[in-house]
Amino acid sequence: MKNTLGAICLIAITGLACSTAHGATLAEIKARGYMVVATEDDYKPFEFVADGKPTGFDNEMLAELRKVVPFEIRQEIIPWTGILAGVTTGKYDVALTAATVTNERMQSLDFVAPIAETTNYYAKRKADDSIKDVGDLNGKSCGVQTGSAQLQMLPQLDALLAKSGGKIGTVRQYTSYSEAYQDLALGRTDCVINTIINLRSLANDKPNVFEVGKAVADQTVSAWAVSKGNTEVLTLLNDFIGKERQNGNFYKLQEKWFGQSFPNLPEKTSP
Amino acid sequence: MTSGAFLTLLDGALVTLAACAAGVAIGMPLGLLFAVARWVDLRFFGRSVAIYVSVVRSTPVVTLALLVFFGLPSLGIEIGSTVAAIILLAVNTSAFNCEVWRSGLNTFQTDQIEAAKAFGMTSTQLFRRIIFPQLWRQCLPALINEVTMLIKSSPAIAVIGVVDITRAAIRVGAETYDPFPPMLAATLLYCVIIASTIVLQRVLEKRHMRRVSQDA
Repeated sequence: MKNTLGAICLIAITGLACSTAHGATLAEIKARGYMVVATEDDYKPFEFVADGKPTGFDNEMLAELRKVVPFEIRQEIIPWTGILAGVTTGKYDVALTAATVTNERMQSLDFVAPIAETTNYYAKRKADDSIKDVGDLNGKSCGVQTGSAQLQMLPQLDALLAKSGGKIGTVRQYTSYSEAYQDLALGRTDCVINTIINLRSLANDKPNVFEVGKAVADQTVSAWAVSKGNTEVLTLLNDFIGKERQNGNFYKLQEKWFGQSFPNLPEKTSP
Repeated sequence: MTSGAFLTLLDGALVTLAACAAGVAIGMPLGLLFAVARWVDLRFFGRSVAIYVSVVRSTPVVTLALLVFFGLPSLGIEIGSTVAAIILLAVNTSAFNCEVWRSGLNTFQTDQIEAAKAFGMTSTQLFRRIIFPQLWRQCLPALINEVTMLIKSSPAIAVIGVVDITRAAIRVGAETYDPFPPMLAATLLYCVIIASTIVLQRVLEKRHMRRVSQDA
């Protein structure tokens, strides 16, 4: 038993001592000839897999990015759980996913120019008449993804509800939004909080089951992320998005995947 | 479910099968090696094996997956997700297999060993001709049980980006917003795979019984 504990401590200490890894700089990427980007596989309409092929807004942007950079881009498709951790530890150079920009995340990540306005809304069962406005969420259970910005931003909804003397009911966390939606459909949770874009996609695909409600947080944007201080890669990606905005492709893809374009997004996120 | 979705699931089934087969192919003999090391009481190696087995047996596969995949690059060891998945499954099953082999060795009749030594057999001959042929037969049900446990804990490799049956089902469900049909299909696929391993066990046992009765 003593030995076991000792071995576990040793592993933990080694891990802590070596947690200062960082993403590759542009020079390092050019020298090794490739950049590693991570995307999700179940975050429709940003990134998902249809008939075995990765698709969605970010994957189409990635195809464009591949055309303009002078090095190879290797794509790793992994669940949300490992993406941001993978970028901060230097496993991946870019989280090429719609990560909601938050102050907490800015401590360890630099964000590229936003790809969409992704304010948090709630979705409810279409048949559930007890929820008509944000105030009706008082005491209702809310489903969100573990480690998500939606979870971090729940206090904003709590503040909204507190104005009328209410508060959020049970908060249920899921490893993925797919499970949250399923629980909502089954009636085990009363609402799911996610970005307006994800929820609109959900309601469009299953109009008889789900309905999008109203905003439950301040306006937010989503963006790709690189590890903190990786300025060269950040600039490269900002310039790329700038060019895609100029040639109009950015807005075309937004129309195609989000049902609307966002012409007023800022050109930078992290300073 | 579309045919494309079904193909995604079948791809996932191949990945599950290949990763588990590779894991067992490495982990089962490794487990035997570890068990023998403890059994013959190789001092330092035997004690290291004991620690290894305790750590691995008490760590959930998902946790171990994240540790191997994100921890090793911090130590400067680059590792792909497929290789990491195979290492992970091999490590996991080697620890459990070690205990199965070891319990087999511990209950092995010592009079047989003494008899073999009296005939002047070397340790290698003793192991190959006397111990192993009886040991594997005795351990087979427990080993196959470990194989089925490994298959059922294999969805853990999805956290590092390997698309097994369960992850494939989640992907299909996330695209259609209708997770029930792919999950049902995934369950059936697991049932078929587990049933096949049990059939394999029966076949091996029958073949062995035939051979024994021919010898007699």
